[in-house]
Amino acid sequence: MSFDRAKYERLFLEEASEYLSEMSQALLSLEKDDAFVESVDTIFRLAHSVKSMAATVGQEDIAAFSHGLEDRMQAIRTRGSLLGASELPLLFRALSQLEEMIRSVEAPGPSRPPDADLLMALESAGLDDSPIVDTGPGALAPKKMGS
Amino acid sequence: MATVLIADDASFMRQMIREIIEPEGYEVVSEANNGVEAVERFEEFAPDIVTMDIVMPKQSGIDAVKDILVRYPAARIVMCSALGQETLVMESLEAGAMDFIVKPFKPESVLGTLEKILEKEV
Repeated sequence: MSFDRAKYERLFLEEASEYLSEMSQALLSLEKDDAFVESVDTIFRLAHSVKSMAATVGQEDIAAFSHGLEDRMQAIRTRGSLLGASELPLLFRALSQLEEMIRSVEAPGPSRPPDADLLMALESAGLDDSPIVDTGPGALAPKKMGS
Repeated sequence: MATVLIADDASFMRQMIREIIEPEGYEVVSEANNGVEAVERFEEFAPDIVTMDIVMPKQSGIDAVKDILVRYPAARIVMCSALGQETLVMESLEAGAMDFIVKPFKPESVLGTLEKILEKEV
């Protein structure tokens, strides 16, 4: 099989863009404290799919960042609740970062590398109850993805 | 010619599997994008093989395996997993899936696995 990288990269960008929009909706539901389990499951599943697609087209940074988000969602799922007031803003920042990374694939030049501090923050407070690292200048406002 | 049902919520992945196996003579009889659809399509098309993603909406691939095998114990199902899903893969195999392939897919691995499970007696 000859792997048509350009074709799969296009498919990746199209599908990932839809997933980002769905993840954003699910995050907004989480913010409203609505459909917790379903929203967490949705973000977990879509982050997982983005990870697999990104790895397939050789976008290792996006795969690694999506993996961090997937692991965080798994931790939330296991915990059954959000951890403190800073976890939701962290998720919004992570989604915003993921969107920027995916968009940078379309742009000429090298892809945008992941924000190492943000990735570390996602990966901290995993299955244990260690405090969340605040990596940003306060909470970001919820943002509509894919717009 | 062996018939195949591809179950994966990502059309990207469904297309990739299709492009790997069709040139080798497999006939993709249907696709499903969640576990519920996978069970329905299996009943409708009775494929020789199912490639089943583990993480899917509505019903997971593992639950779909259980639902299919309780009614069709001879079903040949191969799971599609990502790195780091070892526990879920084990759970799938315990549920009756015959084998697994790991994303990102390597064509030789996908084809080798399908060949292997077609040779198994059920």
